[in-house]
Amino acid sequence: MSTLVAEGGGIAPRWSRTALSFAIFGVALLAAVMVSLCVGRYSVNAGRALEILSQAMLHPGRAIDTMDERIVLLVRAPRVVIAAMAGAALATAGVALQGVFRNPLVSPEVLGISQGAAFGGALAITMGIWGVPLLGIVFVGGFSALVMVGLLARINGRTEIITVILSGMVVGSLFSACVSLLQFIADPNSSLPAIVYWLMGSFATATWDRVLVSAPGLLIGIGLLWALRFRLNVLSLDDSEARSLGAHPDRERWLVFVLVALIVGCQVAVSGIVGWVGLVIPHAARLIVGHDHRRLLPATVLMGAAFMVAVDTLARTVTAAEIPLGVLTAIIGAPAFGLLLRRHFKDREVP
Amino acid sequence: MSYRFRGSSKWLLGASLAITCAGAALAQEIVITDHENRQVELDAPASRIVTIPMPMASGVIALSGDADRLVGLNPLSLTAIREGILGKIFPDAAHISDAVTGTDFVPNVEALAAVRPDLVVQWGGRGPEIVDPIVNAGLTTMLIKYGTEELTRQYMTMVATAIGKPERITELVDWRDSVQHDIEAKVAGLAEEERPSVLYLGRSLSDITAAGDKGSYSSWYIALTGGRNAAAELDGNSSINREQIAQWDPEVILLNSFEPNLDVNWVYDDPILSMTKAAQQHRVYKMPLGGYRWDPPNQESPLTWMWLAELLHPDLFDYDLRAEMSKAYETLYNYQLTDADIDGILWVAQQGDSSGYDQFAAH
Repeated sequence: MSTLVAEGGGIAPRWSRTALSFAIFGVALLAAVMVSLCVGRYSVNAGRALEILSQAMLHPGRAIDTMDERIVLLVRAPRVVIAAMAGAALATAGVALQGVFRNPLVSPEVLGISQGAAFGGALAITMGIWGVPLLGIVFVGGFSALVMVGLLARINGRTEIITVILSGMVVGSLFSACVSLLQFIADPNSSLPAIVYWLMGSFATATWDRVLVSAPGLLIGIGLLWALRFRLNVLSLDDSEARSLGAHPDRERWLVFVLVALIVGCQVAVSGIVGWVGLVIPHAARLIVGHDHRRLLPATVLMGAAFMVAVDTLARTVTAAEIPLGVLTAIIGAPAFGLLLRRHFKDREVP
Repeated sequence: MSYRFRGSSKWLLGASLAITCAGAALAQEIVITDHENRQVELDAPASRIVTIPMPMASGVIALSGDADRLVGLNPLSLTAIREGILGKIFPDAAHISDAVTGTDFVPNVEALAAVRPDLVVQWGGRGPEIVDPIVNAGLTTMLIKYGTEELTRQYMTMVATAIGKPERITELVDWRDSVQHDIEAKVAGLAEEERPSVLYLGRSLSDITAAGDKGSYSSWYIALTGGRNAAAELDGNSSINREQIAQWDPEVILLNSFEPNLDVNWVYDDPILSMTKAAQQHRVYKMPLGGYRWDPPNQESPLTWMWLAELLHPDLFDYDLRAEMSKAYETLYNYQLTDADIDGILWVAQQGDSSGYDQFAAH
């Protein structure tokens, strides 16, 4: 198998190198999680934090009485878990969409899914709905945006990549306008600040309840996309080639879309709009492990989780005030994406 | 009739404020220099006023002694009137037009013109976009700036002058002055360690915000009443997290009066906040909502100071807050507060068992 793949050269590096990459990703994620659990505005020294964690694992269900235990177990731990899941899920959604569209510039934001999900959430908050029902409305919002993009982009039975992207912009703008409209009519003392804050994206309100609300959807989404890894490889080919390999590109593409909407819906429901992760992480992962989704997906999961946990740790520890998450992901993501873009086109020798 | 205003209190005539007296030929004219150094001219005392800044609506009512002059206000001022006691004192005020502006202070010029105001009060220092449309519509506009006690006294003076009641503001400013000096004298001898750390949370339910010392009125009256701002290290108004609050471990927590669904149980039910000194000692209080919300500066601010002073240093102060409130509401709104009114304003039902709150109980 390794020789077969090795023939792919630059596109598919050898498995041994990949194994090393995965080891590094795994260690990076573990390090990010451990550091994140040990640092924060409240001073709990690292030794004590680790002691609290090991105690909690050895004696689950033990009463959590002291402030430092509560800080580590009830504030930091759920926040780290949600950040890791959200990072992994967003990056996976990005990979899947980029594969299906055969276009490296696609992400949930570009296709209007995030804006649709944002509209669903804003609508739920305006109506005073929280928790699992909010998640449902967010999912429906994101998925309807996707359906609208799909319908708009299909012209004469063909779906061109460029029409998909343009349709995504159209639908995204439409839903953004609807969000603005909701903000306009929202109660300025209660639902308006809730909507504004939630749209900015933050893990500050993470609790174990929220972990439980979002985890099933995120894990199912990631798991099923992983199950579709061979299909994603096939869908990355031309439709005619894919058909000759026995795939049903249209049907399978829609399955991917539903999973992406599920992932984005669950993530947006608990932590608002978090940009750039779905765009930058898949590219970085692709540079390291190649285009084969069998390796790309797990690499993306690990990198996305590590990146998100690291960025969120910065957001909550650097100053007494929380730094908005979107600011950090954009400051890191935009230049990184610019560099990747240049490198991508240089390699392909596109003028 | 001339509106010469040279109060004995020199701060009234601050650099940015000069109320000039017109000559005999223009005896009816009122000229006010507003907070952006613009000359605001009125032929006669304003009788139809629109207030776009939130705290100013109830300010106009207090300065007038009735709600008749107010013909348009900010939707947020209206919610404060409806939720608070003013809606009861002046039932008609609940129907004043709030279509004249968005909550973002962007005026709706047509709605503004429709209520035929002779004076529009708008925020200054926030750019021309929210001012020019009003001026271009030919409406007389007065710009005020927010944030400090000094600015508050200045803009209240401007409005009192504009409505032709300069004697009214003297009374209110003298009250502010005497309460402020009384409190300052009593806390002057406090050592640093005797001043409890107080955390005022501007928002709580969706996002938690607190403010540093700069530009924060809350921080100012916390210091006035012998406390220390627990969030002093912040630069301006910022989002903070629970971990940061745990680190500050404030001795007193003040919750805003803006969020209708917020009460002290938000702190007591929270696994982290319930372990702060403030929660352990039951020193968590939601800011009262009277004629306006007691958090920002307004015509009732001396009551805010007395309330907080009594909570921070009950042994230093012996204000009879209920009597002071009754007296103030009679002066401000010509209204006799009932015991139930006072309990409602102070949230006695929600936080009557908080530490130090028994002193505010009805006799």
